[in-house]
Amino acid sequence: MNPLDDELRSALRKTEPSPDFTQRVMQRIEAEGREQPARWSWWSWLAQAWRVPMLRWAATAVACIALAVGIAEYQRYRRVRAEGEMARAQVMLALEIASNKLNVALAPVQQVEGHQVRRPPSGARGRADSKAQPPR
Amino acid sequence: MRHHQAMVYSLARHFLGDPSAAEEVAQDVFLQLHRNLGSIKSSSHLNFWLRKVTAHRSIDCARRRRPDAPVSLDDVPEPVAPASSPDSGRDGAHDPAVAERLQLLVRALPEKRRMVVILRYQEDLELHEIAEVLDMPINTVKSCLQRSLAILREKLTRCFGDVPV
Repeated sequence: MNPLDDELRSALRKTEPSPDFTQRVMQRIEAEGREQPARWSWWSWLAQAWRVPMLRWAATAVACIALAVGIAEYQRYRRVRAEGEMARAQVMLALEIASNKLNVALAPVQQVEGHQVRRPPSGARGRADSKAQPPR
Repeated sequence: MRHHQAMVYSLARHFLGDPSAAEEVAQDVFLQLHRNLGSIKSSSHLNFWLRKVTAHRSIDCARRRRPDAPVSLDDVPEPVAPASSPDSGRDGAHDPAVAERLQLLVRALPEKRRMVVILRYQEDLELHEIAEVLDMPINTVKSCLQRSLAILREKLTRCFGDVPV
């Protein structure tokens, strides 16, 4: 073995604390145990309240009612939302049908208007005819 | 508690060098153990837990006590070599002067290295165990230990040239 290792083991050997060490630790543990109940917190209050059977049942009932109301409200919300979606789809369908009908009705009108644009105006033709025929 | 108090106290004592501060740290460790008794799974887990908490609490205590830079090894006064017999240290009997000097030198090491050396030689822990206790990579522990031993050997040879280190 390395002599330095040996010397280090000897230098760093374990030593005992003072004889009343255990007693002092126990005193601190007891003191801490006495202090703890005096410390008020929400958690300790809840833990104490939970030990009372009446309060425990009441809390459970309130929680169950809250859960039931929550579920019912959620179902209602989902139903209203689904109805809204359906109404929206119906409106979109109606708009689409109306748009198609309008397109069908507009097509002949546009056709007629197209013919009128290509034909020369009737007034101009009259003047040309009068120029071609010599006056009697 | 009596079974483990020497280990906890000695870790803190060798690390801090102050018996009263070491007792304070050891008391805090046992108080924390009392609060966390439910989380202790076995005897080996208890040992590991105690070493880990003591190491970290000692390091915290040292930082609180001395927030400035730790004393350099060069600042440790070099004592005059004692008039010990030439055979001291060779026949298994340890020279108290060497031990005292070593304790001083260990105390002058930086915090992590100091704890590595103490865990290695007080607790006889393997490198991977030290790495677990101090949350350090095993290679860092290895290099820390080698560097610390080299420094200690050099310093000790300078003081006690006749002691085989």
